[in-house]
Amino acid sequence: MQRKSTKLVASIATGLMLVASGLVVNQAAAASKTTITYFNFTSVPDHVADVKKMVAAFEKKNPGIKVNVLGAAYADYFTKLKTRVVANQAPDVFDLNYENFITYAQAGTLLDLNAVSKKDKSFKKSDYYGKAYDVFSLAGKQFGLPASFSTTVLAYNADLFKSAGVALPNSSWDWSDEEAASAQLKAKLPAGTFADFQPVQFWEFYKVLGAAGGKFLSADKKKALFNKQPGVNALNWLIGKTAKGYMPTKAQLGTGDESVLFKAGKLAMVHTGIWQFDAFKNVPFSWDIVVDPGGVTPGNHFFANALVVSSKTKKAAAAFKWAKFMTSDPTAVKIRVDAAWELPATSAKAPLAVYLAKRPPANRAAVFEALKNPIVPPVIRQQTELQDTVNKWLEKAQNGTISVSEALNSAATEVNALLANE
Amino acid sequence: MPKSFSRIGIYLGGLVMAFPFLWMASSSLKNDVEAFATPPTLWPHKPTTINYHHAFALADFPRLFLNSLIVSVAATLLQVFTSGLAGYAFARIQFRGKNILFLMYLATMMVPLQVIVVPLFLEMRALNLIDSYWALILPSIATAFGVFLIRQAMLTIPKELEEAAVLDGANHWKIFRHVAVPLCGPSFATLGILSFLATWNSFLWPLIAIYSPEKMTLPLGLANLHGEHNADWPLIMAGTTLAVIPVTIVYFILQKQITQSFLTTGIK
Repeated sequence: MQRKSTKLVASIATGLMLVASGLVVNQAAAASKTTITYFNFTSVPDHVADVKKMVAAFEKKNPGIKVNVLGAAYADYFTKLKTRVVANQAPDVFDLNYENFITYAQAGTLLDLNAVSKKDKSFKKSDYYGKAYDVFSLAGKQFGLPASFSTTVLAYNADLFKSAGVALPNSSWDWSDEEAASAQLKAKLPAGTFADFQPVQFWEFYKVLGAAGGKFLSADKKKALFNKQPGVNALNWLIGKTAKGYMPTKAQLGTGDESVLFKAGKLAMVHTGIWQFDAFKNVPFSWDIVVDPGGVTPGNHFFANALVVSSKTKKAAAAFKWAKFMTSDPTAVKIRVDAAWELPATSAKAPLAVYLAKRPPANRAAVFEALKNPIVPPVIRQQTELQDTVNKWLEKAQNGTISVSEALNSAATEVNALLANE
Repeated sequence: MPKSFSRIGIYLGGLVMAFPFLWMASSSLKNDVEAFATPPTLWPHKPTTINYHHAFALADFPRLFLNSLIVSVAATLLQVFTSGLAGYAFARIQFRGKNILFLMYLATMMVPLQVIVVPLFLEMRALNLIDSYWALILPSIATAFGVFLIRQAMLTIPKELEEAAVLDGANHWKIFRHVAVPLCGPSFATLGILSFLATWNSFLWPLIAIYSPEKMTLPLGLANLHGEHNADWPLIMAGTTLAVIPVTIVYFILQKQITQSFLTTGIK
């Protein structure tokens, strides 16, 4: 009995080891094709099937190229990417957002696409939305092809506005209009329902700073400027909403976030990204969007994601073909628009017309209105450190432990130290 | 204290321990608005299995389960085997420098994975094992904790039993196989369940070592349910509920051995 059980255990262990060694993809069939690896975060988890459709369409047009798609959730993506880059195993093509693009470009990780695009007669820079294309260039070199871009808008619960007898937001609103509406809503909405939500964090702060007429960094990126008066005004605008009772505190927000509160019909206005349209589409109330109200000047977020090619790839031509296909080919663009997978960074009008026609929200024109006054994120090589530093001091100001001026001055001191090491 | 009081206390303690799992399962049957509703609801107003359908659509759960099973079972069997051998050697064989060696080996328990992850990655890359099951199995086939647990269990074996086996002509291997292992069964079971759990739940190392979706383990698959801008928590709860089912089954099968091992004080 003991011998049988020992043999059984040994057999299982041997079998598992054989399985572990034996589960290898058959490489013989791939020998005649060029296989490139595409590593991405933008499709995870909701658009993995859409990427597969794009790959199928690409491989049909390019039978000599096979695209091996790998994906990771955004929260883990850069950990894996950095590991692969450092280990000299960078994927041929991968996603980068604008905020991390500078770091990788300055490290020499990315291929200058100008050299490859010149050899591709079908490539046209004019196929891309100009602003999105330009942000992925550095020192005269083009390092990325923009795949998508997005912005933030003011989404509002029309039913709550009507029940409170407050006029609906419109595109001419500025901060004073938003505040006036918030005050009226606060007086009329039931307890537990809030007027407004705008997060107090790095991303929102630099945008609001721009709308307040300020600059985050000097033009040469040697000095922080966000602690000047426009910065004080911007931060006061953000943290004042909670102080005046328009916006829930962290405790009142509970375990969810503002999107959950909005979907529950307990938030009249929320400053949120256009990526939330899909999440909001089945809410049981009428809602719409307007462009984010400006301060002394209009100013709205501009986010973009690009496909970049590794500088170490040995398949530059194939990698570029895939990057170009996924970012500008009409087939790929149509798949993206049909799947409500962010806005394609293309200059073509037809797919954008399809996007504009989708409902809800009805006022999708506000998205393109927002893109008329883009504010790109301030980006330095030590991007993570920059964001962490600013967020730390914004939180202290929001908690009331120090004044707004003190918080911004302290943040500026630390950011200047980072800039000195750039 | 009357037995009924202690029994009530045990049931209450059990409920407190089980409550997070109940909440996880309950949230998996809700939509995201009800999942964060105030006041919270334990039982959903309108239970739905849509999150489970969605989880299966977004992640290849059968493949994730298979990968986790292969890695966890292989690593567990190898770990139990190596820990048994080393634990026996440290407990029953006298050799020079044994105690120093054991202390040094034990000291490696102080080193967190984050410290060794880079050299470990370089090592696996040099062996061309990155993005393979072996990259996940090999680093965990020997652990200081396993050796420590088995050593402590084997120290409790009466010397008379060992001497009797020697008189019968048994060598160390036969003493290990026929005397030590049967007597330390509960400890081996405990080590088995703990190493299975640790490997099953391992995230950081598989995140770095595995690229291909075909080789991903369950924790990596669950992490990929998070979006760039949103986290669909009921969906993630559905995926997590599916992920804990196998370890719960393993625990229920081996719970007697685990309890027995914790109760055993080394005197038989």
